[in-house]
Amino acid sequence: MKRSKAWDAVFLGPSLIALVMVVILPFIQGIGFSLTDWNGVRPVLTYVGFANYQDMFNSVEFLYSFLVTLLYTVVNVALVNVVAFLLALLVTSRIKGRNIYRAGFFIPNLIGGIVLGYTWQFMFNDFFTALGGQLGIQAMQQSLIANKDTVILGMSIVNTWQYAGYIMLIFVAGIQSTSQEVMEAATVDGASYPQRVTRILIPMIANTFTISLFLTITNSFKMFDLNVALTNGGPAMRFMGKIVKSSQLLALTIYNKSITTKELAKGQAMSVVFFLVLVAFSLLQVYLSKRKEVEA
Amino acid sequence: MRKFVALLMTAVMALALFAIPASAEDVSITLFNNKVEISEHLQNFAKQYSDKTEGVVVNIETLGGGADYSGNLTAKLTADSMPDIFVIEGDGDYKLWSEYLLDLSEEKWNADTTLAYHDPEGKVVGFPVAIEGFGLGYNVELLKKAEIDPATLTTFSALKAAFEKLEGMKVELGLDSVVSMGASVSGGTWWVAGHHNFSVYLGGGLEFADTSVVDKFNAGEVDEQRLADYAKYVQLLFQFSNQTVTTTGTYDDQLAAFANQKAAFIHQGNWIDPSLAKMNVAFEYDYISHPFNDAQEFKGLFLFAPSFYVINSKAAPERIQAAKDFLNALVYTEEGADYMVNKAGMVAAFSNITLEPAGGFSKALVRANAAGGNYGVFFGKLPAGTGQDILAPIFDFFAQDFSDAGMEGFITDIKGAAETVAQRQ
Repeated sequence: MKRSKAWDAVFLGPSLIALVMVVILPFIQGIGFSLTDWNGVRPVLTYVGFANYQDMFNSVEFLYSFLVTLLYTVVNVALVNVVAFLLALLVTSRIKGRNIYRAGFFIPNLIGGIVLGYTWQFMFNDFFTALGGQLGIQAMQQSLIANKDTVILGMSIVNTWQYAGYIMLIFVAGIQSTSQEVMEAATVDGASYPQRVTRILIPMIANTFTISLFLTITNSFKMFDLNVALTNGGPAMRFMGKIVKSSQLLALTIYNKSITTKELAKGQAMSVVFFLVLVAFSLLQVYLSKRKEVEA
Repeated sequence: MRKFVALLMTAVMALALFAIPASAEDVSITLFNNKVEISEHLQNFAKQYSDKTEGVVVNIETLGGGADYSGNLTAKLTADSMPDIFVIEGDGDYKLWSEYLLDLSEEKWNADTTLAYHDPEGKVVGFPVAIEGFGLGYNVELLKKAEIDPATLTTFSALKAAFEKLEGMKVELGLDSVVSMGASVSGGTWWVAGHHNFSVYLGGGLEFADTSVVDKFNAGEVDEQRLADYAKYVQLLFQFSNQTVTTTGTYDDQLAAFANQKAAFIHQGNWIDPSLAKMNVAFEYDYISHPFNDAQEFKGLFLFAPSFYVINSKAAPERIQAAKDFLNALVYTEEGADYMVNKAGMVAAFSNITLEPAGGFSKALVRANAAGGNYGVFFGKLPAGTGQDILAPIFDFFAQDFSDAGMEGFITDIKGAAETVAQRQ
């Protein structure tokens, strides 16, 4: 059949309409709302220019939330990727029952973040502290998520528990696509296992790292459900003289601004900035990672 | 087959004929209820009332349990099936529905309640569905064992001395802490501090309808002396609480400490009565006030009505009359009182109803309401989300460090919160 514009439209149409209706239009509308004083209920809007953006950049709460999201992203991306890569090495080795491990490590990813959050809240606050008390280990008697200095680590541990299995599968696919001959040749040449992994395997699956880093960075930035259920932003701390919620990441800050305090336009302004930052970080990361990739 | 369908159709149509109310002149009104837990009892009462009352049928429709009541009411409005009696929950709903609210100032029940909803001009538009309230709950038996007379705990110093005495008897009484308090953002008990405890600052020791402190707060100002006293009171509560419960505990943890007699006092409202019953609490418990300074004697409890029945002012006159009669029947018939107190387990907001509810805290509220001299609860007058987003972390932080330095910080933070709130007005 000859290709024609009409046929293009027929096939493209449904998805295009859906995309425009649920992504593009709301996005543009959102930018519009961020320039008003809308509270989410009142039908009347007043145009306020960039006042919401000015407020946001002067807000200690937003600044803290932005910084702590960056911190969480760094900690979380490192933890998830290291754990996922080690798990991937484990389940691609000749270890017995590797298929069971593969499934087992992936299963936490099927549990919703809210359920996980409440479960792990119990683990941190009641189980580990009780265990620490029984074993007489001082460090374990303080709950990780009750302390502002360790709450981000606590959140990251739960997210790793949930998400590492998924990233592991991506690494497994990457490792399996590499040619065994190179690794065997290196073994014959006398390279040790750590040397083979760092010098050969990792460079060969650099494109897999590009994907997994992209996924973990965006996942960390957008973290919401676990944040709500596990800590709800707490515990509180003092930052630049103001009280802030020490683990309230950006997505939750935006939610609270928009829904809890009904300042939807201000929350909308935050999400516009959030979007731009997320795009910038992702592009930068993909650009940097791509340079490291080699053709295998 | 065709014959069967035809038969079925005939049967349906015949049934439809019977379904038409026997007397078409009956006035049929609808109450749109938002509380699932009372819907069955309300249904029964409405049926009883309809059977007894010639020419009036009261229908109950219920939507609640987290469903979007307000959204559904809007849908009913557009569909031209607005109920005759519906529910508003305070200032926000009032603004939304103000054009549909009938003036109820002339109703008889006004004489027996102080909790009706008044519009800004002072007209009564809302019938209080029930009373909720709180004070500082205590375990009667534990206080008896410690030889503390709760009736004397009406000032800050008296309460402090009692706390210290109990602290010294912790081992003897099997206590883990003196007070069970919640202030945790992560555990989800922030509202105990951010809503209810803060209401002690906003309304404690004042006349019931005195909103001067909350009005000032909304304008960005605090009453320095009052705030200093209040901060000391919060410090006292935190000092004698289990810090794990205040900073990371959940609602269940807070209740369990009191129910298992691990704490002698609890900072909670009468809504925990059913939970305490479920936890097999056999001991007697009651309320004292929140005595946050020595300047006066604190004897009142903190009472409020969380929701109000309103009558649709655009309904036909005969329906309005039927709706008014129904509300009066709730207050002034034995069946009405029986439904509210015994069946639905609510604390009736009317002083003529003397039936006692089952729970210990609810009983205390009934007595307090009859005695008078209570304090209003005004956290609902703060802008949306103030308690959760602004005040909650301030209390959470104070609970982590309740030293005198921490208290200075708390006072500064509350002043800062007032300024933030004023900017949002």
